[in-house]
Amino acid sequence: MINKERVIMALENLRRIDETKIEVPIGYKQGMRVNGIIYVDQLLEKELEAQSIDQVANVATLPGIIKSSMAMPDVHTGYGFAIGGVAAFDLKEGIVSPGGVGYDINCGVRLLRTNLKKEEVLPKIKDIVNVLYTEIPSGVGSKGRIRLGPEDERKLLIKGARWAVENGYGEAEDLEKIESGGCIDGADPSLISNKAYERGRAQQGTLGSGNHFLEVQYIDEIYDERAANSLGLFKDHVTVMIHTGSRGFGHQVCTDFLEVMERAVNKYKINLPDRELACAPYESPEAQDYLSAMRAAANYAWSNRQCIMHWARESFMKVFGVSPKKLGMTLIYDVAHNIAKIEEHEVNGKKKKFIVHRKGATRAFPPGHPELPGIYRHLGQPVLIPGDMGRASFVLLGTEKAMKETFGSTCHGAGRVMSRHQAIKRARGRAIWREMEDKGIIVKSAGRGTLAEEMSEAYKDISNVVDVVHKAGISEKVARLRPMGVIKG
Amino acid sequence: MERFQLLDISGDAGIRAFGKSIEEAFINASLGMYSLITNLDEIEKKNTINVMTESDSLEGLLVSWLNELIFHFDAYGFIGKKIIINEFTPSFTLPPRGGGRGGGEAYKVKASVSGEDFDPERHESKLLIKAATYHMLRIEKIDDKWEINVIFDI
Repeated sequence: MINKERVIMALENLRRIDETKIEVPIGYKQGMRVNGIIYVDQLLEKELEAQSIDQVANVATLPGIIKSSMAMPDVHTGYGFAIGGVAAFDLKEGIVSPGGVGYDINCGVRLLRTNLKKEEVLPKIKDIVNVLYTEIPSGVGSKGRIRLGPEDERKLLIKGARWAVENGYGEAEDLEKIESGGCIDGADPSLISNKAYERGRAQQGTLGSGNHFLEVQYIDEIYDERAANSLGLFKDHVTVMIHTGSRGFGHQVCTDFLEVMERAVNKYKINLPDRELACAPYESPEAQDYLSAMRAAANYAWSNRQCIMHWARESFMKVFGVSPKKLGMTLIYDVAHNIAKIEEHEVNGKKKKFIVHRKGATRAFPPGHPELPGIYRHLGQPVLIPGDMGRASFVLLGTEKAMKETFGSTCHGAGRVMSRHQAIKRARGRAIWREMEDKGIIVKSAGRGTLAEEMSEAYKDISNVVDVVHKAGISEKVARLRPMGVIKG
Repeated sequence: MERFQLLDISGDAGIRAFGKSIEEAFINASLGMYSLITNLDEIEKKNTINVMTESDSLEGLLVSWLNELIFHFDAYGFIGKKIIINEFTPSFTLPPRGGGRGGGEAYKVKASVSGEDFDPERHESKLLIKAATYHMLRIEKIDDKWEINVIFDI
């Protein structure tokens, strides 16, 4: 049956709760312990895939799941868990699943502001893109500028972005503006396989390929003047966004532990509707080992984005001939959107710790949350949502409602609507880089196919996705960023 | 016989590979995967690596085997062009029961892979394949032909 028919059939069994969310009721699939909730309005409902609805329902069957199996409006089919999924599990009855985090552990986004205005950057945008492309390794088979010896790599896995700062990449004051301070506690390098060490050795400080990017942008719309001012975001000012993760290192950690979890499923007799949901009870050694290894990969990713940001600052310095300090190139924030974390949340009037899995979902903590750095505590956590390379990206803030409804979570990006193959077919005979240039966006990519696969039409319109989370109140729009220059892998 | 086809999957990339034997289907799935990364016509047989992997299921063996090749590419840049399977356990004359899962049987493949190190200056860059997955994974014997469907995370 084609997807459309299956979705129509599926939707008959779903219930619209309000204009921003629908319920996947218990009983939609056998064994569901809780319901599913998908944040979509009537517009994005049309783009739902039958398979991703099934995946939301599948996650609801997992032991110890709390409240609901949730999906954000950028939901699409993933491995086991849907991308855009949020699921919290009890620490006694619940499980930990690498599939709930994803292969690219701590894939995430960071945003830098500048004092530069759009008009100052426009005449030099080609130079900037060329220098960035030279300074920041990207693409298939590219080698990083950093070679990690085994001892260095172990230190990096424990210290995260702090390792980068200690080695001259960026400033100490960057660290407080990174989720978890750029370093999550509890990483254990002794649980990392030799293969992961080998893959990580030459990939620190590399952008990678696929949907990862570095973008020079300008702020074209402010929705919340007060919040934007507090963040240092002003209309027509230029920003730099970096989207990448833990590279081959994180993938190897995920691959290694999927094997461990496969065995754990048999050992602990867990009944699964899909093999990619492989998991282990939270308190089991398998789950604890995975979490310690996942934290090491998360730290690898935070250091990776820190190094790339450092070279982005250097690139601007080269082009403008002044120091990054003068250019006001300070970090706004850095968020992880593929991670599992122990967090305290209130459920049924009681505060308790849970293991929250976010796979293609961004943490969105409210004002006053103790995890936020002092400078942002009155505001709420900055949420960074990248769109496709032709449209826009957004800055939002976390809210109390997110804390109540979604374990403090929101969307993470646009989500594809076209397969890579379809996109390549659609782009045949077209020069995507020239189409982008006509729109005033300079792109440079290592792979010939990448631009076709990553063209705007291949993605949902990010504005629609962000409108749903804003309307639902699980984060609030602050500013919209438009691309000017893009580096792709 | 056609060796492999591309599978059209939203967000990722997949391969449907064929073989008269399970060994041949494994080899074609591997070459299909390499062809997603680069143009295999440009790759020469300059050196040979030995790869061995084990699992307790046939699906597990395929995923683990492909992940092993991905590891050699991602860590060292090695792209294979010719694959010779020296040992494949168990040998299949009949389709495995229940997809060959569980039962404590040992599945093993030993092979030598000839190729060269990827050079972004000389070789075409296509997709950066990062993992083979169990997502919609299928290994089947249809009449006298083996067919493999496998999806890669990119």
